[in-house]
Amino acid sequence: MIRKSLLAFICFLAWTSPALAKLNVVATLPWIGSLVQDIGRDKVHITTLVRPSQDPHYVEAKPSMILEVRRADILMFNGLELEIGYLPVLVESSRNPNIQPGKTDHFDCSQFVAVIEKPAAVDRSMGDVHPLGNPHYHLSPRNIYRVTGGITEALARVDPGNEGFYRANLVAWQEKFKEKEKQWMGHNLRGKKFIAYHKFFEYLANEFGFEIIGYVEPKPGIPPSAGWVEKIIELAKKMKPDAILTTSYYGAREATFLSQKSGVKSVVVPHDVGATPTCKDWLSLMDQVLAALE
Amino acid sequence: MRTMIVFVLSLCLVSTSAFAETLEERIQQLEETIKKQEEMLQNQHKTLEELKEKSKPEKPAEQPVSPPPPTRDYRLDDRSRGIYVPSASPLTPYSLTKQVATPGLMNPAISLILDTLYYHSSLSRNELASKSTPGFIGPQEPPFREGFNLRAAELWFFAPVDPYFNLYATLPITENGIEVEEAYFVTTSLPAGLQVKGGKFKSGFGRFNAFHPHAWDFVDAPLPYKLFFGGEGEGLIEKGAQLTYLPNLPTYTILGAEVLQGDNDTLFGPDAESGPHAYTAFAKSSLDFGGSHSVLFGGSVVGGKTKTTSYAPNTELKGDTVLYGLEFTYKWKPSRWRSFILQSEYLYRHQTGYLTDTVALTTDSLNRDQDGFYVQALYQINRWRIGGRFDRMAILKDEVARAGQELSFSGQPYRVTGALEFNPTEFSRIRLQYNYDKSDPNRENQEVLLQFILAIGAHGAHAY
Repeated sequence: MIRKSLLAFICFLAWTSPALAKLNVVATLPWIGSLVQDIGRDKVHITTLVRPSQDPHYVEAKPSMILEVRRADILMFNGLELEIGYLPVLVESSRNPNIQPGKTDHFDCSQFVAVIEKPAAVDRSMGDVHPLGNPHYHLSPRNIYRVTGGITEALARVDPGNEGFYRANLVAWQEKFKEKEKQWMGHNLRGKKFIAYHKFFEYLANEFGFEIIGYVEPKPGIPPSAGWVEKIIELAKKMKPDAILTTSYYGAREATFLSQKSGVKSVVVPHDVGATPTCKDWLSLMDQVLAALE
Repeated sequence: MRTMIVFVLSLCLVSTSAFAETLEERIQQLEETIKKQEEMLQNQHKTLEELKEKSKPEKPAEQPVSPPPPTRDYRLDDRSRGIYVPSASPLTPYSLTKQVATPGLMNPAISLILDTLYYHSSLSRNELASKSTPGFIGPQEPPFREGFNLRAAELWFFAPVDPYFNLYATLPITENGIEVEEAYFVTTSLPAGLQVKGGKFKSGFGRFNAFHPHAWDFVDAPLPYKLFFGGEGEGLIEKGAQLTYLPNLPTYTILGAEVLQGDNDTLFGPDAESGPHAYTAFAKSSLDFGGSHSVLFGGSVVGGKTKTTSYAPNTELKGDTVLYGLEFTYKWKPSRWRSFILQSEYLYRHQTGYLTDTVALTTDSLNRDQDGFYVQALYQINRWRIGGRFDRMAILKDEVARAGQELSFSGQPYRVTGALEFNPTEFSRIRLQYNYDKSDPNRENQEVLLQFILAIGAHGAHAY
């Protein structure tokens, strides 16, 4: 009797919870949320934890985020330890058994990525080097193509009732991707040289054949000293790169300064969906990134 | 076939070499080159195999039509200068790394945090040792000595036990040996927003209580924590069990209750009763305003049986104690490089019992109703942070009655603190702090502290 009424109570709770209406997806970064939106459309409710204006390396776990993760049917994140400063505490504090590490709904997007720059040996004297490899793979068409496939599979698994809908949206997305890809290939970036603020463009450089010849940060995550800035100015004068690249959340001031000193133009590249009003989704983000590099 | 290609390739390479002078040298070079080429081919073969393996389980509808394969990889050739130089030879396009099967992944995450400081006080060692806050607490062993101090080298372990439990242990190593500051499990798979914690842990009471000394915003604890919990003011760290509940409400709210052993020997005392004899309950809520403002507020209560000698030398206090706490935190964090935190707590102690003079062997009733609060603000800009704190006891209520007689003590204990921090990275912190301490109304204590906190090992997550 008690067991039955308890069961009924649990069913009641489940029934009244708003989660039932739509699939609750919690994404850490804007670009992940945007891809989920492209595939899930009106069948999913997406919460993105990190704002486009934030540095994805240094996000603070806020209690409101714990509540969002508590409600998640599936948690999708960048991985490669980019979220290590806040996601583990959110996941544990959420008390949500479905999205704990080891569960399939603890969905690490980097599982579909061919990771580059995995250091053979690493310690923190090298700065904030990511021991699992470069985590900024979201500006990499070939990797995101596969990630989107993976996201679709995951949505279809968690919400099998809408499997066909998700797959159809993936096909539509892939068609758009291929169209866009032709435009992207039109940008001739091969052989170009850039100085970047952070190790943010390596995947892109690999795919489009340009070079990053130096970094404004002396080591990843370490802000430049005056002496280092001098060295970068020298490097810029000697190598004459095409531009100095930064993202909108940091490094813009340094890049402008370097640009004035060296005569090399500085370019602010949108780093994630929503960084500028016209970066509505991942495809338009790529449009803008490549246009900025041209 | 492969060897042939290698041979021809090598020949080409070698023939262009203008530096090999003798035949012997040339042969040596040839051999080396062959070796290298073979290694490269093997690597490429491996990569191909891995690629095949990798592409099997996924099933995106079609193979991606990708931009041409990369021609360059980048190596950290010059680490000291940090400039990434393109490597001379075209390498395999992507080094494929799987995140499994790395040896050592089954080990728990481990970190070691060094907390060391230089201490100067305007008082002599004897004056510090006899310093007290009458009505609140008797003389206590001063936490620091004039000069260099090693507070602790704190070992921290974490790992999931299985799909149902996570385990944490914080083991500060001091010159007196290793201590178990915390060692507890947390459940991860309970339904309906419930979580159980058990072992020895920092209680959910209050705000400041949750933090380890290396994560404090100042070198030392706020005055109300020092006077109500004793010691350095670490707060309520107890053996026990905790149940918390996170309801699915529109705003973050957490409710919790604990059964604790009651070992804290200022507030309760290990011998006050044979079994667990302290109980807590707390509720906290949080709201966001815009993207970068948030507040956390709540109330806590802890009550239990008391048997302590901390009231004054040669006394023993037995009775019942209830401590109430109110907390408020405001944070503004628009970016990594700027933040502002305002935090305050108010504590109120209600105690009834009997005080025995262990020399004269007399016993009187003792009732205490006392309070205290602190407010602190920290402003961070780039790698610098500046902080101020004001602590004051006996603000709304200060009643100490012994044998029905109201006792009066001179002045309200207070302290003013200023601190300047430089944080080279998130793993190191240098802090200079000044205290003007009138927690003993009869003694003016001025303190200067220079602290170094350095962390190695696993990257712990930061609590709010």
